[in-house]
Amino acid sequence: MTVFRGFMILVKRNLFMFFLYFAIFMSICIMIQVVTKGEGTSQFKEERRSIAVLDRDGGELAEGFIKYLGEKHHIVDIEDDKSVIQEKLFYRDIYYVVTIPEGFETVCLENGRKLKTTKIPGATSAFYIDQQIDTFLNEIRVLKHAGFSTAEALEEVKRIEEVDAEVTMIDQNGYGGQMTPYGYLFQYLPYLFLSVLCYILGFVMIAYRKQDVRRRMLCSSISLRKQNAQLVAGFVSVGSGFWVICMLMSIALYGKSFLADGNFFYYLLNSFVMILVALALSFLVGVLVEKEAVVNSVVNVISLGMCFTCGVFVSMSVLGKGVRMAAHFLPVYWYETVNEIIGNNAQFTAAQKAAVWQGVGIQLLFAATILSIGLVVSKYKEQE
Amino acid sequence: MVTITNLVKRYGNLVALDHLNLEIKEGEIYGLLGPNGSGKTTAINCMLALLKYDKGSIQIMGQEMHPDSYAVKKNIGVVMQNVAVFEQMSVWENVDYFCGLYVNDRKKRRELVEEAIRFVELEDYRKMRSGKLSGGLLRRLNIACGIVHKPKLIIMDEPTVAVDPQSRNKILEGILELNRQGSTIIYTSHYMEEVEQICSRIAIMDHGRVLASGTKEELKSMIKTGETVTIEAIALDEKQLSEIRDLPHVFQISYNEQVLKICLSGAKHNLVRILHYLEENEIPFGRVFSELPTLNDVFLEITGKELRD
Repeated sequence: MTVFRGFMILVKRNLFMFFLYFAIFMSICIMIQVVTKGEGTSQFKEERRSIAVLDRDGGELAEGFIKYLGEKHHIVDIEDDKSVIQEKLFYRDIYYVVTIPEGFETVCLENGRKLKTTKIPGATSAFYIDQQIDTFLNEIRVLKHAGFSTAEALEEVKRIEEVDAEVTMIDQNGYGGQMTPYGYLFQYLPYLFLSVLCYILGFVMIAYRKQDVRRRMLCSSISLRKQNAQLVAGFVSVGSGFWVICMLMSIALYGKSFLADGNFFYYLLNSFVMILVALALSFLVGVLVEKEAVVNSVVNVISLGMCFTCGVFVSMSVLGKGVRMAAHFLPVYWYETVNEIIGNNAQFTAAQKAAVWQGVGIQLLFAATILSIGLVVSKYKEQE
Repeated sequence: MVTITNLVKRYGNLVALDHLNLEIKEGEIYGLLGPNGSGKTTAINCMLALLKYDKGSIQIMGQEMHPDSYAVKKNIGVVMQNVAVFEQMSVWENVDYFCGLYVNDRKKRRELVEEAIRFVELEDYRKMRSGKLSGGLLRRLNIACGIVHKPKLIIMDEPTVAVDPQSRNKILEGILELNRQGSTIIYTSHYMEEVEQICSRIAIMDHGRVLASGTKEELKSMIKTGETVTIEAIALDEKQLSEIRDLPHVFQISYNEQVLKICLSGAKHNLVRILHYLEENEIPFGRVFSELPTLNDVFLEITGKELRD
């Protein structure tokens, strides 16, 4: 097993990269865990924003409207001056300014004119406040049409608002419908797999593929088939070992909740198939790259490129349609698709189950294809 | 030990080996001498079954050589032209690795590795990564990796290329020692001095063919030149040059920038005869050298070009 032993010595020489990436990865995971701790995703809570109201009417309805907004947000007193308003918005002292015009009731209720508002461009909270204002005006309008006086209408709106709607998140996996905490860890795993394996095994492959070393080995009394078998054993051992370490790390971090998860097997399966893809890719890198100095850049392009376009770092829902379409041709996309299903659902529908197995199958096909390309390139280079 | 018969190797239209015949006996240091591109490395690659050939046969230790002739390969050591070691492994790990390709027994392997490291005098560098070794030390490590399993036949393909004189001498001494220990050595080089220094028999190659072979004395006796006399700072006219050309045993002269070079066939008193002529004709001259023929002269006379052309 000389070739295997040599392979392992070279892996050992490049282990610092493993420790480096592993430490970075662990730090990120622990950081995410600490940051998200206590943020119950199973609860619903209304958000309150600091807003300003410029009352140029001073009537009964305006007063009721301000009270209504005050129930939902913090009302900040500001000067009715354009530059002051802009400054407060710029420094985020306030997020929204609504101006109540003179003759509020006639202008807005009867003529249906919109209230003048100033808000931070693109702020989601502004849309939320817009909705609340529209709701108030519509309710008052309906009540007035129904014969309520302004005071009665305001009283009725107040009563309606006091009715609390009980909000319950649909909980499909025991985490309030959100992805499991270890689901996030598994979401980032492809980056760790691709970076570490392509880097370490890429270096080892380059060392073994140096023409003169190869020729010297071909002159030896060990057959080429045995030598290749030992190299494959090296690849498989490193890949399996690395996968086991990562799984133990997940168990150490999330303990019983991970072990008791009904999808535990799927997490193991999906990540193991991803390891196979990473092994095949590292073989291809080792075959294609000739110089050690280039390995780092190539590995960064492959791992970061694939991870950014396939939803490892940024959720796929945020990515453009074109990017998502292109990601279909990359194995990490299918890994993430499977991970999203198993992370968000405790029980699978038939369609989800089919999607999981389809994702796993496609990853296996990717691994086989990449390996085949690597073998063809390797053969071609040897003949050269 | 090695018999090559009518070996032909073509790369497209280029004939790299043209009906090459070689007979290397056990215990010899056999030199393959020739300029770059003469076919030395191709011949070695064919011997090691690294290259397929078009015609002919190669027998090593009485067996036909094929890529799967592992029993034969077990007794062959190879020292490549370029250093073939793992840069990230230490000296000891490298020698142990290449020894492991031939020897399974761990205890025996450890002894052999230690012996090889001692042989190339790399004891102080055992734990040093080979990537940090100097060029000369790397060459010595390259040799250690090739000879560690004590092969009966060692093939060395220009092992001293780009090596400083001190390391070169150590390498050449080592090769002689390996031969004394019983190994047959095939040594290729385009440095004729090295080949002359260590080889017991030599084959001169060019264009994929053996032009001449034998001991260095036999090779030198094949050519007309027995002695070359060089006279510096001498002023001669056409008549004098013609008279020198007519002196006994002179078969070729060249006169360039006041340096006269006279090639003479092997005979006694050649130098005395030339000096006597210069004295008689009162021709002043500077330094005078007389040299016996070298392998370069042999090559020059056979091919009409210098070895390093």
